[in-house]
Amino acid sequence: MIDDESRILRALKALLREHTTFQTTNPLEAVTLAKQHDVDVVICDQRMPEKTGIEVLRDIKDAHPRAMRVLLTGYSDLKAVLGSVNDSEVYRFLSKPWNNTELRALVEEAGQISREAPVIERDALPPVEHDRARSQVGVLVIEDDVTVQQRLREILQPYYKVNFANSAERALMLMEQHETGVVISETEAGRSDLTALLKALKIHHPHIATVVITERANAATAIELINEGQVYRMLIKPVRMGTCRLSVDSAIGRYWQLKQNPLAARRFMAAPATAEGQNSPLRLPAQILNRIRSLPGRLIGAAARASAH
Amino acid sequence: MLSVIVFLLLGGCIWLGYEVYRLQRENLVLRAGTGESEDALKKMQASQAQVIHTTKLASLGQMVAGVAHEINTPLGFVKSNVEVVGDLLDDYRKLVQQYDAAVQYCLQPVDLIFGADKASLDKLVKHVEEARRKLFEARTKVEKSPLLTDAKELLDDAGEGLSQLSTLVQNLKGFSRVDRDGMDLMDLNEGVESALMIVQHQLRDRVKVVKHLQPLPKIRCMASQMNQVFLNLITNAAQAIDGNGTLTIDSRVDANNAEVSFSDTGCGIPDDVLPKIFDPFFTTKPVGEGTGLGLSIVHKIVKSHGGSIKVRTTPKKGTTFTVILPLNGQTASTAVPAAVAA
Repeated sequence: MIDDESRILRALKALLREHTTFQTTNPLEAVTLAKQHDVDVVICDQRMPEKTGIEVLRDIKDAHPRAMRVLLTGYSDLKAVLGSVNDSEVYRFLSKPWNNTELRALVEEAGQISREAPVIERDALPPVEHDRARSQVGVLVIEDDVTVQQRLREILQPYYKVNFANSAERALMLMEQHETGVVISETEAGRSDLTALLKALKIHHPHIATVVITERANAATAIELINEGQVYRMLIKPVRMGTCRLSVDSAIGRYWQLKQNPLAARRFMAAPATAEGQNSPLRLPAQILNRIRSLPGRLIGAAARASAH
Repeated sequence: MLSVIVFLLLGGCIWLGYEVYRLQRENLVLRAGTGESEDALKKMQASQAQVIHTTKLASLGQMVAGVAHEINTPLGFVKSNVEVVGDLLDDYRKLVQQYDAAVQYCLQPVDLIFGADKASLDKLVKHVEEARRKLFEARTKVEKSPLLTDAKELLDDAGEGLSQLSTLVQNLKGFSRVDRDGMDLMDLNEGVESALMIVQHQLRDRVKVVKHLQPLPKIRCMASQMNQVFLNLITNAAQAIDGNGTLTIDSRVDANNAEVSFSDTGCGIPDDVLPKIFDPFFTTKPVGEGTGLGLSIVHKIVKSHGGSIKVRTTPKKGTTFTVILPLNGQTASTAVPAAVAA
């Protein structure tokens, strides 16, 4: 546990007194501490004088990838939210003040996953394997803006097996027909919200990597997409070629490795949805939910699907 | 001869008439012109008000963000600690109950003594031995239990958190001075502290704040406006620092004046920019990022308090803004209307 306020650390220590905990107010010590004690879970504050939480968690991801990472922050600015997805790949993004029961349950769950689920050390594949993955794995783009679609077509078409959909309905149809490993999506199409679809997809098929591309970035929606949607990357429009290709490349790598190592998918499980939120996947029409649930195993790696339940 | 005079007079009249007509027309055009410039002036005033309003909203948003962060941290551990102490007390109660059970067990031999034969006396001895062991165990558990110590520590932290929260609310109240309007006696150091708290979240990650605040006599001034001055100067200093740096705040007093200075290790102000920094709407920031009102408001407020501002700058080394205020406030009674952040 890393926080520059020692009282937060004492509170967390008392809360998690049934576990062995290590804590420091100095973020520069965090990586060493995590490695030295081979910890299962890291809980880190965002704003600290020497180093931000995102940087700490990113370094821990590289040095000790087995640990599940949780960001616990007092104020969620968009930079922190995007960084926690793209750089540190956090398991959960929590806000202070936290809920004790939820945090305890989360640590319990994350600890179990950390000890039991195999680790994917790096998403990037060796060149030969990467080419094979690229030629087999479908990339699905859900975007209704014609100009953006055209732009993405130019960026992606030459390198990947891409399909384009302008609605949730069309996206489902394409996923029923083609093996889809990466979904690139806006947060909304037309007037309908796509985040519920992305969340439901992740709940039933946690090995699919989702890349969200959005124009109007909103911290609250983004946090939901982390916790309930476990998005792989979050990009802000306008989309830049380099960033976009880099994201899709490593997303394919992630999917490919999860397909071969389905048990690792537990590390990227979305939080169980509640029906309360406006964009809750449970609010999707039953028919759509059923279609998502029964997406054919042959197209998305049956073993991985089995492990998700 | 007469006809010539009549002719000349007539000609004069016609010319005069024409001239009057021409002047009237010009007058009309001029009036229209004044109308136009009045309109333009009104439009400009409206857009200035709009800018000030927008800036106010932006600084409000910034303030809320900062305060939310400052509040959520103590709130986080206070809330958690209070709940955890409840759990700890439950655990402690269990220990006490176990102790109680052991005591009950010890009391049982009294019943056994009645109607004792050889076998039951042996049983009795065993029971007493067992009772002593149990009692000892339970007592040790209660004595060695860290539960109460932990609970005490957590409650102390919670108390500390609550006082942090109330200081925060005090500061906010002090900053806005909603409860008081107009001139008041103010400790400038307190103003510096409350302004610092509000921009804390902007500084925390990268700007180190060093304070050398000497005790100052209270000064008669518009406290909320002085707070705004400090807030704007601190924000400016933070923005002048690219990456990590230090902001040093000094306050001191001499026979006539109180001074507060803000020194940053930022980019400094180039010579050609320096004369313009207090001009309204002058800004070096990209469109949409600065309004160019921050320093002009600082200047206006300090002037209206009969004070002055000193600027010392070295490009690439940093800038020092010093606010100098007279001790016996010969202050102008007019308040500056809009106080906005830089």
